[in-house]
Amino acid sequence: MLLTFLSHQWTSFWRSSGKGSVIAAQVIMGLLALYIIVVAILIGYQMENLIAHFLPGKDTVEVFNGMILYFFAIDFLARLQMQELPTLAVVPYLHLNIPRSKLVNFLNIRALFSAFNIIPLLVFFPFCILIISDDYGVFACIMYLLVIFSLMIFNNYAALYFKRISAGNAKIVLAGFFLLVTLGLLEYFKVLSIAILSNSVFHYVALQPAFGLLIIILAVAMFMINAQYLNNNLYIEELKSSTGKKSGTDYPFLDRFGEAGTLVALEIKLILRNKRPRATVSKGLIFLFYGILLYKKDVIDNNQFWMLLFPAIFMTGNMIILYGQFMFGWQGAEFDGMLANKTNISTFFRAKFLLLTISSTLLTIITSLYGLMSWKILAVQLAAYFYNIGIGTVIVLYFATRNSKYIDLKKGASFNWQGVGATSMIMSIPLLLSPYVIYIPLTAIGNPYWGLAGIAILGIAGFFTREFWLTFLVKEFNKRKYTIAEGFREQS
Amino acid sequence: MILEINNLKKTYADRTVVDIEYLFVNDGETIGVVGNNGAGKTTLFRMLLDLIRPDTGEILSKQQNVAANDQWKNYTASYLDEGFLIDYLTPEEYFIFIGSLHQMTKTDVKVYLHQYEEFFNGEILDNGKYIRDFSKGNQNKVGISAALMQQPELLILDEPFANLDPTTQIRLKTYLKSLTGSHKLTTLISSHDLNHVTDVCSRIILFEKGKIIKDLLTDKNTLNELETYFSG
Repeated sequence: MLLTFLSHQWTSFWRSSGKGSVIAAQVIMGLLALYIIVVAILIGYQMENLIAHFLPGKDTVEVFNGMILYFFAIDFLARLQMQELPTLAVVPYLHLNIPRSKLVNFLNIRALFSAFNIIPLLVFFPFCILIISDDYGVFACIMYLLVIFSLMIFNNYAALYFKRISAGNAKIVLAGFFLLVTLGLLEYFKVLSIAILSNSVFHYVALQPAFGLLIIILAVAMFMINAQYLNNNLYIEELKSSTGKKSGTDYPFLDRFGEAGTLVALEIKLILRNKRPRATVSKGLIFLFYGILLYKKDVIDNNQFWMLLFPAIFMTGNMIILYGQFMFGWQGAEFDGMLANKTNISTFFRAKFLLLTISSTLLTIITSLYGLMSWKILAVQLAAYFYNIGIGTVIVLYFATRNSKYIDLKKGASFNWQGVGATSMIMSIPLLLSPYVIYIPLTAIGNPYWGLAGIAILGIAGFFTREFWLTFLVKEFNKRKYTIAEGFREQS
Repeated sequence: MILEINNLKKTYADRTVVDIEYLFVNDGETIGVVGNNGAGKTTLFRMLLDLIRPDTGEILSKQQNVAANDQWKNYTASYLDEGFLIDYLTPEEYFIFIGSLHQMTKTDVKVYLHQYEEFFNGEILDNGKYIRDFSKGNQNKVGISAALMQQPELLILDEPFANLDPTTQIRLKTYLKSLTGSHKLTTLISSHDLNHVTDVCSRIILFEKGKIIKDLLTDKNTLNELETYFSG
């Protein structure tokens, strides 16, 4: 029976698309997966040399042990973002004479077919087999393999379980996000380190292989919890999305902005209540960790602000960039109504400015936590903030008047190329390069602080001349509004 | 004269979809627009709402070109298809949003919706669903009543009877008829249901391949005349 289900899945995969673009996307995804797998195998085989090369003088086994939990922590995050829930695959079988437990089994096994489940094995297994078995004996090696396999299983079902219970529940997502920020900060300030934890866990496994049983039990438990949850909730309605009664929401603080505020409230609802914009915006929150990777101490000490400028602009303005690149495609489905209704186009643009400014302000407040590293980061981020609200918004909205690609809000955001076109690609060039056009000459004739000040001043100037840009954008929009509306009507 | 159309023409890839030399609509008329698929009804409505740019010609609403400024939006309400709904809102939120564009407070909207209780048949309000989760018929109800709520002088509905259940069709008909008497409202309705349009409308315009081929004031022979045309 399971094989029948799986063969149906296989056929549906090959027959579903019909449209060339979907197949092309699948091919690119396949190539990407292949590339990652090849890289994973190479890393796996060369692990010992790589560790010796990058971290000379350190004990390779210790470094390896330290990496494992790190890997799985990042793996978990990536899964939450990108792994698909295979639930709807089961719908056509629910009314047939098939026991529920079989369907649950099918869902669980189907969930294993994911690139996420191959990579950890490819990366870690070769090293275990080559090195661990030499150093600690065959039994320890087998336990290593089992533990890593169990962690993979645990992550797989934990991510799916978490996604299922948090479907559409913004509070859980927010709580998870803050947990991550806390963990990141703890790691940064060396209060608690995943690497040390990981190292001690696997050190223990190496010495006392039986200890590994604990992790295997954990993985089995996670599998059971997930299966139990599915068993109790195998109803189409409940699988699809949250079932709670939908009620109206108000954002009273937006009322003071009048009609533009009403439109912003509308767009916030668009983001929170639809899959793709929600995923896009929450993906943006993950980019807030860019700072941890890219704000390097020596760079800050040497005032090399050009290296900080890109992450600062991206973090304080990621909603402008990631969400803004598809404007107004998000509203493609209701665009005719928007135009025919008594909304003023200039109010419409005012609302976009307001939304992007609010988002950028919030992101700047959150990222000012990086100020704990150095006050210079605050200065860079403030300049980036002014740039984003004063200039970035105008650039994005200008390109929005040239974009007529409809976005299907119900689809996921990962590997989704719908709406990606020449305009959204070209847009990022002026958006990310123009700060450097200001910064580099000013730094050359003065110093890096002049560069930052130049960016900030131009941003503020853009902000205070907004009325001018508004008129300009409305004019641009009116030139092309029929084309835009027609593009959205095609919906493909 | 609320609407005046001069030399209006729209062509898609050599196929003329709308070709109107001259058409006027007087205040207070209820006009039924009929014609087979491809006759250009929806394209005409979209041009009336400035959603499509005509190739040539102009549409004057109260003597002002609709493509030139937004004046017409103040007194025009419309529902053409689901593209006019915002499907991730609850119906209440949608009504309040539309109301707010016309300076109606939340209470105004609630009070106003009260009179639609019968039309809604208890299926629209307080249902705890987003508009996207409603059936097509119920989505239509939301769109039509939101258009009526704006108390327009010019109302444009594209196939309002489609997808509605029989009871609701009859209720909508009665309601549209009662509106024409009560205040100064000009209505344009397209429909494939000849019984309904001849019943509701005082004037029928028949389109074929974008051209007006009949323009009749409704009397007892109109239905017969139309049926003869369509069965031919």
